[in-house]
Amino acid sequence: MLKTITQKPDSFLVRILRQDGPGKKSYWQRFRVPYEADMNAISVLQKIAEIATTVEGEKVAPVVWECNCLEEVCGACTMLIGGRVRQACTALVDHLLADNPAEIELRPMTKFPVIRDLLVNRSRIFASLEKIKAWVPVDSYLDMGSGLRQSQEVQQLAYQYSKCMSCGCCMEACPQFLKIELVRKPGETEDRFRAREHTANMRSFMGAHAIAQVELFNTNPIGAMTAFERLEALTAEGGIQTCGNAQNCVKVCPKDIPLTTAIGREGRAATIHMLRKWFDR
Amino acid sequence: MSRDFPFLASIFGRHEFIIRRIHSLIGLVPIGGFLCFHLATNASILDGREMFQTRVDIIHRLGPSTLFVLEWGTIFLPMLFHGLIGMIIVTRGKRNLILYPYGENWRYTLQRWTGGIAMAFILYHVFQMHGWIRLPWWIEHVAKPFGGAVFVPETATDSVAHVLHSSTVILAIYVVGVLSAVYHLANGLWTMGITWGVWTTPHSQRWANIPCALFGIGLLVVGWGALFGFLTIK
Repeated sequence: MLKTITQKPDSFLVRILRQDGPGKKSYWQRFRVPYEADMNAISVLQKIAEIATTVEGEKVAPVVWECNCLEEVCGACTMLIGGRVRQACTALVDHLLADNPAEIELRPMTKFPVIRDLLVNRSRIFASLEKIKAWVPVDSYLDMGSGLRQSQEVQQLAYQYSKCMSCGCCMEACPQFLKIELVRKPGETEDRFRAREHTANMRSFMGAHAIAQVELFNTNPIGAMTAFERLEALTAEGGIQTCGNAQNCVKVCPKDIPLTTAIGREGRAATIHMLRKWFDR
Repeated sequence: MSRDFPFLASIFGRHEFIIRRIHSLIGLVPIGGFLCFHLATNASILDGREMFQTRVDIIHRLGPSTLFVLEWGTIFLPMLFHGLIGMIIVTRGKRNLILYPYGENWRYTLQRWTGGIAMAFILYHVFQMHGWIRLPWWIEHVAKPFGGAVFVPETATDSVAHVLHSSTVILAIYVVGVLSAVYHLANGLWTMGITWGVWTTPHSQRWANIPCALFGIGLLVVGWGALFGFLTIK
């Protein structure tokens, strides 16, 4: 049961780690926000955008953040709230103030390059999904009829993995997942810089979410037809071998996805894949 | 490593899967196997100094050439590989136990610490007892002057007991060294089971803790028992 406040305050303090742009120095700013019933971290940020004045009375640019669904299924508003990686939309002020009545602390995720304030560049998450081909290839002009049958058991497991919203929590908490932040070289075009970033992303550790997506698509009867390619990506640079079994991923996952089960099963698949490549060709 | 040695980092990165699997496998065979054999041999001191001498004699009856091949082929080179790759692995992670103080994260962090401690201890221990390189000029001019190569197969019990009786600090180093090596092997066995896909679900991984922990406790009793045995030798 989550703790909640009994005494409603008139207002509360919010401390935000801000950054004006990629590679710039970060700094803290504090805001006093008037209390309203049923606030969450997003409505707090909306209030701050409205106030745009620090506790010292300084007029500042509104804090930048990202959000979409507001019901914890898109993952866009992932940030560190009170030091814990989670979605801002489901971080309720009453609970946050019960944990720490003095203030609410908001910081961007530390494993992704900051674009501005609480907004981070999560292109690496997408790159890893691209790398492991996290889709079922059914591209055809022809009517191929109905799909292959799946057992109840496979469906149940697939549902677990399909809940992943690529929010980044598992990567933020992973001691093996290190931040990659490239600096744009002088005279480098935007396209060239993005291409260089993409190469670096494809070579870096994919993280627990991508390993779980390999499990999802390789257990799908149609997805299994391209299992070999996914296992190649899984055992390539930045693949499953980088995992150090600290198992923080499964503990911070907001969707309770059995990430360590996927890592174990894909570890087995990778072992078999390796032996097959050696002895079956 | 990627900043200081981009070329090496690139090779490691491209072949990381196979390197990590070999690293994992040789941690068990031959290194883990050797650790069990080594601690069990040492623990024979509990049956008296003659028994330990007999066990040492059996090993040394193989002759220097065979011992050289066995030492370097199945012990030193695999350990150097395991240690070197282990150090690379440690530098390619960023521990975060303060932020995420979960049980498995503790074990992950301890696995890296005990790996480093065990490696430093083994380098020290092998130099002290064996001298690292069994060439006469090296033994005379390097190992002996620095207090190494003190193990004498003919008077095995006394040469070991002499070292362990010499100071509390050395004894403490051995107590911690054995503990680190045993933890690293027992916990490594558990993570190896996940890495290779033997136990995959949280349920089976919880159950796998039991044999791994029993193995670790058993091996620690053997290892510390050996140290205790040498302390009781007059």
